[in-house]
Amino acid sequence: MFSASKAAEFSNEPLSQQNLPALDLLALTPVSKKYRTINLGVCSTVTVLLLGALSVAKYQPWFRVPDDLHNAYPYACLVIFTLGFLWFTYHFFADKKVKFAVREQDVSKESGLFFRQLSCQPILRVQHVELKRGPLDRWAGLASLQVFSAGGEMHTFEIPGLEIDEANQIRQFILDHKDVSAR
Amino acid sequence: MEEQEITSSNAGSSVKVETGDAWQRLAIIAILYFSARNIKNSAQGLIYIIPALAIGSNVLSKLNSPEAYIAIGTLVLLAVGSGLVSFFMYTFRVHNQHVEIQTGVFQRRYTNLPFWRIQNVKIEHPFYYRPFGYALVVLDTAGSGKEEANIVAVPVSYANALRKQVLAEKKKEEYSSAHSFSNLNESSVQSPVKKSDQSTPEHLSSDNGAAHFGTLAGDMLEKKKLERDMLENDSAESEEVLNTRSIGDIVIHGITNNRVWIILGAAAPFYDDAIGLVSDWLADKGLQLNQLVGEQTVAWWQFGLYAFVILMMIMAAMALLSVGGALFTFYGYTLSRSDDRYIRRSGLLNKQEVSMRASRIQMITAKQDWLDKILKRVNLYFEQNSTAGQQVQELMSPNKLIVPSVTEQEAVELSQEVMPDCQLHRDDYLSVSKRFILHWLIVAWSVPILALFIVGIVSSQLDIFLGSIGLLVAGGLLLTLRWWRWGIAADGKYVYVRRGRIGVDYLCFEPYKIQQVIVKQSVFMRRHQLASIKFVLASGAVTVPFLPEHYVKALADSVLYEVESTRKSWM
Repeated sequence: MFSASKAAEFSNEPLSQQNLPALDLLALTPVSKKYRTINLGVCSTVTVLLLGALSVAKYQPWFRVPDDLHNAYPYACLVIFTLGFLWFTYHFFADKKVKFAVREQDVSKESGLFFRQLSCQPILRVQHVELKRGPLDRWAGLASLQVFSAGGEMHTFEIPGLEIDEANQIRQFILDHKDVSAR
Repeated sequence: MEEQEITSSNAGSSVKVETGDAWQRLAIIAILYFSARNIKNSAQGLIYIIPALAIGSNVLSKLNSPEAYIAIGTLVLLAVGSGLVSFFMYTFRVHNQHVEIQTGVFQRRYTNLPFWRIQNVKIEHPFYYRPFGYALVVLDTAGSGKEEANIVAVPVSYANALRKQVLAEKKKEEYSSAHSFSNLNESSVQSPVKKSDQSTPEHLSSDNGAAHFGTLAGDMLEKKKLERDMLENDSAESEEVLNTRSIGDIVIHGITNNRVWIILGAAAPFYDDAIGLVSDWLADKGLQLNQLVGEQTVAWWQFGLYAFVILMMIMAAMALLSVGGALFTFYGYTLSRSDDRYIRRSGLLNKQEVSMRASRIQMITAKQDWLDKILKRVNLYFEQNSTAGQQVQELMSPNKLIVPSVTEQEAVELSQEVMPDCQLHRDDYLSVSKRFILHWLIVAWSVPILALFIVGIVSSQLDIFLGSIGLLVAGGLLLTLRWWRWGIAADGKYVYVRRGRIGVDYLCFEPYKIQQVIVKQSVFMRRHQLASIKFVLASGAVTVPFLPEHYVKALADSVLYEVESTRKSWM
């Protein structure tokens, strides 16, 4: 569609077997299964903790809870359980769909359950790269790769749930890329 | 590893910028900075607790008690302790032309910033650093305002040396990219006449003419370089004035940019009747405004009238202010070009000069609202990179070079001056699918309209029922207008987007300036082979929804190809 004066020298081979630079043909790899397990664990724990806290508040012997709150207990439990269940179900199905691909010239990520989103970040436009690791990520040996471009904070490209070695590899690949590091 | 030494500008002594492989700690004084920062952060959080404390107990009477001293002492100790921890968790190194920083206590963060990605180096001197000769270096990347990297406490001479080297690196980078650029056969520097010969939309292979254009491009770049050198030598540049705005134009701009106030103002004579109607309608539904206002001495309608008179006066003042503001900002407006820079000069009392390098312009936006359409005027914006979250007043913003209320013809000429051969008003805009209307009617409008509709039927109130129908028609109409306007086009050189509802905006950008491409598709869209495309530029994102899937994919591939194959800088 646009000018293609350097087509002969240009290559953007997917790092796997594909050979056409088309987003359609990306060889997408799912992120670590541990990512989903952690998310499901967090959903369950938060829901159980909230239900537990409500139950403790209702049945504890130390102070009197107003009658209105007593009566609201089953409804509150139902709301928390429903939200927790929806949260859990979303992660159960959506986390499997978080996939990424690295090509010679760009990094891509596909995600979303109802609204599928495929973002592609040319390495040429990368400003800097960060690995983000929360306590759970560190415990599970995972990392989020954040790639910053001039597109602003809103459009920080992030691949969550990568194995730390893999994340480090991709980070190094981006840093070593001739468009980012070559002088 | 090759270590480099550079000379500090003021001291004259040589300061080593490279710190080597080993991670460095900051100067001890940084503890003060971290403590101050942590106190500031917690104070911001505590602001919300103060009212609660004040209400909960008589704080003042307890201020002298031993408990208060213990509490304050604990807080101070906590702040200093956290400063100490932050200090020990912070390491940095400047190594191989990269600044690397490791920071964070619970959430460790590793930042790696190559010199040539740093846009700006700011050196700050907090008052408690000054006696000791330390400075805070803020390394600003164009990426994001929040993600800038700070080297918290380094000697001033080191800070200056680092700044000097980073800026030198940046200059070298710009020069080398211009040099490598001259070796490429760039379409954007080909002559417009030749360009039209090969402007077929799909040409993904190189053609025979490319070699010839390469020489041409090389020549032009040599010329550009020479011009830049001349500029650096501070020679008097000849400026070409591109546009000036008369007082009349500026008054028009002031008026057209306050459309809401004008409408509210023009409707003033009907306010009283409208209130009457509304109150009757509400009374009919069992609501009495008198009870709501709860004022016994003044009748509610008098009260309402007073309120509206005051509102009207405010509006009139606002309209005047708008015209006045436009005059203050744009009086004596000239837009001129000097070499590769566009310079805007304007202002009544404070003369303001905003200059923008042509290569920094990411996008042209020609905005025309309904009043602009009637008056046949266009607000033209040349948009530079903007950092998200940065709230600068639009008119004053150095990121947006505005040419206010130009005529349609001037808008075309100016846009072609900045982006040669661009055709904002074209007839090959690909419209978005009609399913866009259906999608938004269902997703956003259906629930409130249906609720109103059901309430109308259940309570057998004809007006609520009709209201819901009216809302449906209005919503449908607005969505139809939006659908009708929204379109995308691409020629061999630019991507164009048209959008709006009653007014219309035309956007134009060069595909190689794109930072990121996002293709979105819902389940509903996939079933109908539709997709949305979002281009992320340094000036912001542009979305076009509900386009044919194959078109979106081809466009995304083609745009990415343009970015990755030409390797041109976006700045």
